[in-house]
Amino acid sequence: MEILRTVSLSKRFDGRAALEDVSFSAERGEFLSILGPSGCGKTTLLRILIGLLPPDGGSVLLEGKEITHLPPDRRKMGIVFQNYALFENMTVRKNVEYAMRFRPSLRGEAGARADELLRQMGLTEHAGKYPSELSGGQQQRVAIARTLALNPEIVLFDEPMSALDVATRLSLRRELKELQRRFGTTMIYITHDQEEAFALSDRIMVMGEARIHQLDTPRGLLDRPADDYVRSFVLDNLKAKIDSLAAYMN
Amino acid sequence: MTSSRHSVFGRTTILLLCGFFAAAVICPLISMLIHLGDADLPALLSDEGIRTATLHSLAVSLTAAVIAILLAFCAARCMTRTSVRFKGFFHVCLLTPMLIPSISHGMGLIILFGSNGILTRLFGMEKGIYGFPGIVVGSVLYAFPVAYIMISDILRYEDSTPYEAAAVLGIPKHRRFTAITAPYLKKPMISVVFTVFTLIVTDYGVPLMIGGMYKTLPVLMYEEVIGRQNFAKGSFFGLILLLPAVAAFLIDLFCKGDRRSGSVCRPFCPTRKQPRDTAALLVLILLSVCVVFPIVAFITLTFTKSYPTDMSLSLHHVLNTFRKGAGRYLLNSLTIALLTASVGTAVSFLCACFTARSRSRSTAFLHLMSILSLAVPGIVLGLSYVLFYSGSFLYGTLAILVLANTVHFFSSPYLMIYNSIGKLNPNLEGVAATLGIGRFRLVRDVILPQTATTLVEMFSYFFINSMMTISAVAFLSNITTKPISLMIPQFEAQMLLEASAFVSLLILAANLAMKGIVRLIRSLLSRKKPSAAPTTD
Repeated sequence: MEILRTVSLSKRFDGRAALEDVSFSAERGEFLSILGPSGCGKTTLLRILIGLLPPDGGSVLLEGKEITHLPPDRRKMGIVFQNYALFENMTVRKNVEYAMRFRPSLRGEAGARADELLRQMGLTEHAGKYPSELSGGQQQRVAIARTLALNPEIVLFDEPMSALDVATRLSLRRELKELQRRFGTTMIYITHDQEEAFALSDRIMVMGEARIHQLDTPRGLLDRPADDYVRSFVLDNLKAKIDSLAAYMN
Repeated sequence: MTSSRHSVFGRTTILLLCGFFAAAVICPLISMLIHLGDADLPALLSDEGIRTATLHSLAVSLTAAVIAILLAFCAARCMTRTSVRFKGFFHVCLLTPMLIPSISHGMGLIILFGSNGILTRLFGMEKGIYGFPGIVVGSVLYAFPVAYIMISDILRYEDSTPYEAAAVLGIPKHRRFTAITAPYLKKPMISVVFTVFTLIVTDYGVPLMIGGMYKTLPVLMYEEVIGRQNFAKGSFFGLILLLPAVAAFLIDLFCKGDRRSGSVCRPFCPTRKQPRDTAALLVLILLSVCVVFPIVAFITLTFTKSYPTDMSLSLHHVLNTFRKGAGRYLLNSLTIALLTASVGTAVSFLCACFTARSRSRSTAFLHLMSILSLAVPGIVLGLSYVLFYSGSFLYGTLAILVLANTVHFFSSPYLMIYNSIGKLNPNLEGVAATLGIGRFRLVRDVILPQTATTLVEMFSYFFINSMMTISAVAFLSNITTKPISLMIPQFEAQMLLEASAFVSLLILAANLAMKGIVRLIRSLLSRKKPSAAPTTD
């Protein structure tokens, strides 16, 4: 069932196109990755989806309703930034609980809900710590818990693993997939890492030069690349990684 | 960082802040420039007295700036590049002169080297240190701590790895200086030179006290405005003094903008080397004695019955000074300093919340206004306030002194908080917007607690400088609003050197108390702060 749709989104910065005629849809409960190199427009798209940036043209629809001009907190979406943007002066528990205080529907159960989320995220023992006392992976879990606390329909991720080491990334990938299964939340994940997109996603949207080149399942991308760009950016890069791994093993 | 969109509340606040700067900086300065029209410029330009005073100003400022910077460089090298002992103690000693007004430095020299000075008598010198040498020594004492703190910062943030690489490659030591040290120091040192030069050339405290017949431009300006009420001529002096300050401001902007912002790879960790560390210890002892000596002289003069004939301990001068109204003026100073610190900290924090966290034309303008006061010497600000606010409801009140001090000392604390807020996570506003946390709540609950230490430092900066200043307030205060710092020249003119010395000590004590309170609050805040030792997954 479709939950999100964009229609002909466009955005220009100083006359240069950052997004051109971007139309796609996401299904409820799916893990959709937006894959592309730096500067291809994927972060611009994410900021338009969440409402931090207005598009020059086009529209965003959530469950069939237009939300293009709604403020970010009324879009039923949450976001996990690359550097998490945790509130450094608050404990882990307070980070998760804080935003619920400003939602009348959640205010009464804020404490209990924060504790339950921390339990589900395996963070109970760290509840009294401050973000600077946590590892990168733990910080990411706090950021996700803080976002999930408000019951969003969709969680957006802005390259959340790019600052982590390889071992932590691998373990977090598993965790993220597990979380998505557990909470059933739709996740839209921005990355420039082909391997990460293939490991996590139900579907992958390949972007380049401000437009969508292909939106397909990982298998579909491998079997039926839409054009030379997809073939070169996705498949050649993946192949190069596999070759270097093989050379290392030998 | 957020985009350029602001809420109605945000836009109104930015507008109010721009209005504040227009009323407190732009309009008074324009008013001063307009008054230039009343001056007979050809006559002023050919005036022999002004020409002489300009040459005097240049001579003392260049000499004192060179000496202060060389001494400060020595001290900073000793502190950052040797493993000399008691660094904390020396640091406090070297910075203590920053806590007394410039006029006190001049007075300290009179007590030590004046006609009847302690050292003049001790060494049987024939005449005192008045004139050129006195102004140079006093200005060195006044500017040294500022130069020392700036150069220490530059040396502290220098990367040690190029030196290690040079050592491994066998590059000779003198070549390392020309190839690594000199290029690194070049631009920041230009900033230091201009800052120190401007500080000295615009100061009238030291030359007023010890200059004698050797007049400098700020002293002439002071005499013209305070003594003869000649505002047109005063405006002319103001414009001349504005020039080096504006030049220093622009050069500093240029040097900062071009400076590489890369983080330090590895700081210097000097190992123990006996001859070098002993030499450094001797240099630091000598410098500390020199800069602290005037303060020792204040204490001696204040607490002895009648120096040098009766050296018995006495509170006679203390009580006498209070009988002459020092208590009332001290209260004025404390009120002005506390109000300036509160208003200044609040306004600069508010400004930085906009300028450091969003980019738009209005915030760029606000930022420019906030740093502009660096380019306006206190003496020029004081005169422009007289010209602009004279006759208004503010004139003659404590409020105008608070306003002048707030503007005069605004830039440095503003830059402190601007850097602190700018370093916070750039996505905080984005997260807050998606979580439905309003801007005000984000500032109150997240930004303010995370910058609390900086706010305390800012409060202290405003307070200490307001306690010490004589430049702007000399033009604006009256008998009821006079701050205690202005009692120093008044007592000196009445030949009450002991009372002048005690006033300097009172200001020092108030500032030391503020430093102590700041230290206490900082330690309380750091106890609350979490340690940054992450656990593993």
